[in-house]
Amino acid sequence: MTCEEVRAELVECWGSTDQLSAGAMEHIEICPECRYEALMLRETHVMVRSLPQERAPEGFTGRVLEWIGREEAQRGWGARLAGLLTPARQPAWARAAAVGTALALAAAGGAVWVNRAAEPHAPQQIVSGQVGTSSVARPAAAGEAELDELLMRHQAMELTQPLADDAGVSLVVYTTN
Amino acid sequence: MAKGKQLSQPEIERLVERARRGDRAAFGQLVDEYKDKIYNYVARMLNDPYEAEDVTQEAFLRAYRSLPRFRGASSFHTWLYRIASNLAIDVVRKRKRQEPTYSLDEPLESDDGEYEREIPDDTGGPEARTSTRETRVAVRRAIMELPEKLRDVMILYELQGETYEDIAEILDVPLGTVKSRLFNARNRLKDSLQELVEAGELEVER
Repeated sequence: MTCEEVRAELVECWGSTDQLSAGAMEHIEICPECRYEALMLRETHVMVRSLPQERAPEGFTGRVLEWIGREEAQRGWGARLAGLLTPARQPAWARAAAVGTALALAAAGGAVWVNRAAEPHAPQQIVSGQVGTSSVARPAAAGEAELDELLMRHQAMELTQPLADDAGVSLVVYTTN
Repeated sequence: MAKGKQLSQPEIERLVERARRGDRAAFGQLVDEYKDKIYNYVARMLNDPYEAEDVTQEAFLRAYRSLPRFRGASSFHTWLYRIASNLAIDVVRKRKRQEPTYSLDEPLESDDGEYEREIPDDTGGPEARTSTRETRVAVRRAIMELPEKLRDVMILYELQGETYEDIAEILDVPLGTVKSRLFNARNRLKDSLQELVEAGELEVER
């Protein structure tokens, strides 16, 4: 046997001569390098095996079960919440009706938006003497007189004070009641 | 080799079945049965007790969550090892991109300063203990220096006592791969520890 073959055998059995083939044993008796190799492997094996077994920390099982309990509780609430938010499966006609309604609402919304875009210049609001864009919400309880006054003020402003930045007007948001 | 501490295979199967149906107490018994083995494996893979605890805990949590999908094609213990192995390998790979971590060999830090981690050692007097400690540090380091694929096989076979067949199943690789990895791991360890072995009182005729 060659040294290479013997060394491969030695690695297989961590240098233990008990498990070597007869040919490898004969080789070792006459080859000091391979004998040394066998010893090195045996010692390495002893060192590796000398490592102590690490144990899981105290209370480990309790902590794992606690986590599982917490997780299951969360999952329980999550499932209940999802059940409330997700409606039960509807029949096909109901789903078709819902889609139709959604499309109609979207079309109506689009028409309102187009009409608003076609309105005259959006208003500007004067805050502490400065001109700026802002959202104008029509107060729900505002009387007709108040609205008229507001409109007049905006129109007057348009006549006397040109818009500083027309692009900013697009930011104005109308809310309708 | 026994796979657990005291439970028989039929007992384990019964516990697994109960745990699958959501019996937490049954799962607790399984955790008790395997926690030391899995923890030891992960601790050797990571050489960091804090991460080892987290990873071991996560392995059991994942096992519990996945139990409904466990069909018993492999044994519970190889399945559990596979989960732990995947998690440990993930940590090892993340570490490669991040900062160094705590080591089992490094002293612990407290408000009063540093102190040595206490690992029970019942071998010999002070000199022998120092020598044993140094040896362990060197061996742990040598194991940690192995590429993760070799390290995994080395730990599973040499320190956990798993069979070639079980390791092949745990790592999902062919039997031949397990053997060749183990062969390479032993050779590398021998080379890494050569200096230490030679420094010992070896009477070698060369």
